[in-house]
Amino acid sequence: MATTTATITLASSDISDNAISISNTATLTKAGSTTGLDQTSGMSRRTFTSISTVKLIDLDHYQGQTLTENKAAKVYIKNTGTSTAQHVAVGIQNGAGALEEIGWLYGGDWMFFPYSAVWTSAAHANNQDIDVAPSSTDSVTLEYMIIYE
Amino acid sequence: MATTTATITLSSADLLSDNLSLSATTTLYDGGTTTGLTQYDSGRVEIPGDNNIYVLIDSTAAAVDKANRVYIANKNTDETHYVIVSIDEAVLGRLYAGDWMFIPWSQADAAANLEVKAPNEVNAIEYALFHEGRTFTGA
Repeated sequence: MATTTATITLASSDISDNAISISNTATLTKAGSTTGLDQTSGMSRRTFTSISTVKLIDLDHYQGQTLTENKAAKVYIKNTGTSTAQHVAVGIQNGAGALEEIGWLYGGDWMFFPYSAVWTSAAHANNQDIDVAPSSTDSVTLEYMIIYE
Repeated sequence: MATTTATITLSSADLLSDNLSLSATTTLYDGGTTTGLTQYDSGRVEIPGDNNIYVLIDSTAAAVDKANRVYIANKNTDETHYVIVSIDEAVLGRLYAGDWMFIPWSQADAAANLEVKAPNEVNAIEYALFHEGRTFTGA
């Protein structure tokens, strides 16, 4: 088994009268067990120059395989740009085939979250794909990775 | 303005044949600016293990399409315990005991609440919301 850790540090010395410092380390394990996650997409990188909505993670045989759904997969996405004015909207398909927006990644922003990766059909309609939509036609590059079982 | 940073470090010596060592830091700004976010809410709650969907953080009109960021951690220690995290019932994933998540949350509309559901056991959840503002209700 593999041992993979994810650590977050949230820090501010001036958002309140007293400094805040939140630090947490998670060991990424398979669902309901202490065995480490052992599969990964590896780091991927895509550049966008359109405001069209695009599937960043398409669950229909993602990278030639089917992710096991409803487990303990984790997704990391980073906007590698530097623009604080432009963003990339990240959304997830819900079970009814509609896109639910999660949030906006501005230049330098990253996100890390658990991913159920529910796959329902090769026709995509209700797959829990992750979509992105840049706010500008300016070139923007995302880096992303899935760690799963 | 305040300066708040969020740093992630992903590490593994054996997930791949070579070391995985990733680190990224972002400064939390108001949307579209270089002005630091100045407001935050945080808390710790125990989510009942009754398989009902509960609103962990309510969407608010003042924060719609803003650069809000959310941190959520599951503080349980039994590896079989988890909560299902969703936005307006669109499931993101299962946050198991010991796991944390950090996402931007644009609160796309009034229904875009951050929700949790614990199928079997009570789960202790800690959270922090860094945001641009909220809509207050009158007393």
